Amino acid sequence: MPIALVPGHTADAGSVAPHYHPEGMDPLGRRTASSPPAPARRRLGVVVVDPLPVVRAGLALLIDDRPDMEVLADVGTADEGLEVIARTRRTRVVVLVGLGLGGEHDAAWLIRAVRERHPAHAVLGVGANADPISISRALFVGADGFIDKNVDPVEFLQALRKAADGEMVLVTPPAVQVGRIAESIDRRREIDVRLTEREREVLEVAAEGLTARQIAERLGVRERTITTHLARIYGKLGVGTRLAAINMATRSGLVAAGAPE
Amino acid sequence: MAAPRIRVLVIGGHPVIRGVVRLACESLEGFELERELSSVGEGMALTPDGFPDLLVLDLDLPDGDGLELLTALRERGYTGRLLVLSDRHDGATVLGALRSDADGYLTKSEGLRGLSEAMERIAAGERVISPELQQLAVAELGRFARRAREGAQAQSVLTPRELEVLAHLADGLTMQQIGRRLGISPRTVETHVSKLYRKLDVRSRVQAVSKAASLGLIDLG
Repeated sequence: MPIALVPGHTADAGSVAPHYHPEGMDPLGRRTASSPPAPARRRLGVVVVDPLPVVRAGLALLIDDRPDMEVLADVGTADEGLEVIARTRRTRVVVLVGLGLGGEHDAAWLIRAVRERHPAHAVLGVGANADPISISRALFVGADGFIDKNVDPVEFLQALRKAADGEMVLVTPPAVQVGRIAESIDRRREIDVRLTEREREVLEVAAEGLTARQIAERLGVRERTITTHLARIYGKLGVGTRLAAINMATRSGLVAAGAPE
Repeated sequence: MAAPRIRVLVIGGHPVIRGVVRLACESLEGFELERELSSVGEGMALTPDGFPDLLVLDLDLPDGDGLELLTALRERGYTGRLLVLSDRHDGATVLGALRSDADGYLTKSEGLRGLSEAMERIAAGERVISPELQQLAVAELGRFARRAREGAQAQSVLTPRELEVLAHLADGLTMQQIGRRLGISPRTVETHVSKLYRKLDVRSRVQAVSKAASLGLIDLG
């Protein structure tokens, strides 16, 4: 009976199985019933954070099916995601952040938080048919890469492994150009430099379409303070209206342009 | 039925390069090599009515950086297809070419064996770049994003005065010279400098200048 020495090799010289099919795995590298799973410490741990339950379920199925990786948790909010990450003892961890994650603790917020608190883990932005601006937004705040859901599942998983190994990954449909992403990053840098952190905050909230009073309530300051901030923002950006300011912010990726999917 | 005519222009520093492109055009149906240029200078003289359908550009030109020529041509309105040839296979160069919308990137070390096929595919609207080079560009993109983020952070915590002092440090001025330049005492300059070092998290002028350059806060060029 063929003995699996290490994945990828079989000791049975008489077997006609092609050598690239490891014992116990099918051509896609999926574990078949006869093989044991990889030891837990070697298994890549994945945390899936996405607002859509079906997306989470799909990714979980895809990932758990592989012997060398497993889903540590799939959650729908950034805060839950951080909780799970804080609790795991796994050293090889990849956090998948759906770019559709919105609200105050949105995708960019989560990517930044993981990068700051858990620098050893890889964090990837995940989107569907995302444009260069959305991708640049994820990269600017510190993602170790971006994977589009509109790619071959095998490619998707291979990218996870590469990211866990410390490589930068970018897996997108062919139309997305690296050059455009770099340009967006440049624009983001320019706008970030022109505004203070507070002004960026105000602009991000303003982009949700709130009135000055609502912005003031959200940020815990007086309405007058907000209007002053906005006036200064318009001046710095060289625009005359809130819409123009929000457009600039959106084009540079400072604010997310609605849900990317 | 005649294939549509594809007008090709090659800009290559070495006659061998131009020769290989010439041969490729001759072997391909419908490809016409209209002109051969051999320097950045000649490339810069191109005007839109001289633009080809496919530009084959050697980055390693004798009188300057092909990437700069590339940027200039795109700014001048070149919207045609673009194949870049180079000896260089570092992430920064490849990313630079992709930022100018290169549709293909071939390294000369391979002997340009795939040149004809690359030209055909690019003319047909495809992109031709090896996975290895693409990965190098992606890795560089990651570094680029990190520098942009850290540079923006650094730039926003430095005061305009500190940025001024930093620029003068990069020029090699002494504290006294900087003081005279800015109309402040050397003591004040020292205060700015030590605040600068603290904000950049460095301990020497060399480190400060080097870090500032890598974050894009100053231009060493």
